[in-house]
Amino acid sequence: MPEFSIKKQMLGKDMVAIHVSGFLDAHTFEQMEETIEGLFEQKVYRIIVDLSKVNYISSAGCGVFIGAIGEAQENGGDIILLSPTPNVMEVFELLGLNHIFAFSTNLTEAQGAFAKAK
Amino acid sequence: MTVIDDTITISNQTENLVRVREFITRMVAQSGVRKKDENKIILAVDEAVSNIIEHAYEEQREGTIEIQVRADGERFEILIRDSGKHFNPEDIMPVNIHEHVRAGKRHGLGIFIMRQIMDEVEYRYKEGVENELRLVKYIKGTGAGGAE
Repeated sequence: MPEFSIKKQMLGKDMVAIHVSGFLDAHTFEQMEETIEGLFEQKVYRIIVDLSKVNYISSAGCGVFIGAIGEAQENGGDIILLSPTPNVMEVFELLGLNHIFAFSTNLTEAQGAFAKAK
Repeated sequence: MTVIDDTITISNQTENLVRVREFITRMVAQSGVRKKDENKIILAVDEAVSNIIEHAYEEQREGTIEIQVRADGERFEILIRDSGKHFNPEDIMPVNIHEHVRAGKRHGLGIFIMRQIMDEVEYRYKEGVENELRLVKYIKGTGAGGAE
């Protein structure tokens, strides 16, 4: 079972890509939550979450993004979900998150989406 | 027709959710469950066990959760037993998932997912003994999915 890891990649002073790998479940979601909360404390609200290496997500993991998107958007940012795997996308669709979140298939495109929104 | 009956027991720690998913993965692979339902069943069981870990036992109190899978080619049945607090997911009102999510509400999603995925969701409580949650997915696809 792949280990869970989170790596942050700053893309300028107010945008970040969070590269996640492994699984986002009731055991690991708090680390994700703390990462995003830490970014909010640093006034970073443009967040791209790279899910290409996440092989499993449960409602606990989804809940992190649901709980964060409001604050991100209220502060002029957003949460863009990058390349979710089919398993993960299936869960997003089950919860209707595909109608709420913006998705992208590559990092450059996601950065461009934030640039257009400025 | 392959008949399956197997059980694992875990302690009430979230780190054991991986073991639960691995167990269910093995069981669905042997059972004839449709490919498109495999990951959903794993998710539904994960949600159920996560809820038990979070709600059934007071903090610091150790407990065990037993997960039994029975499949007979027609039904894939999961029985989840714990001896924690009485918690009946049937007592939780159905949520309007769109309003729920748009309001930024993060909790209560697990029960919604279970009901969406499984064909039957039944809860039994034996006073002073245990809670038993029964989840069933019809293997032959005669159910529409989602138990109400």
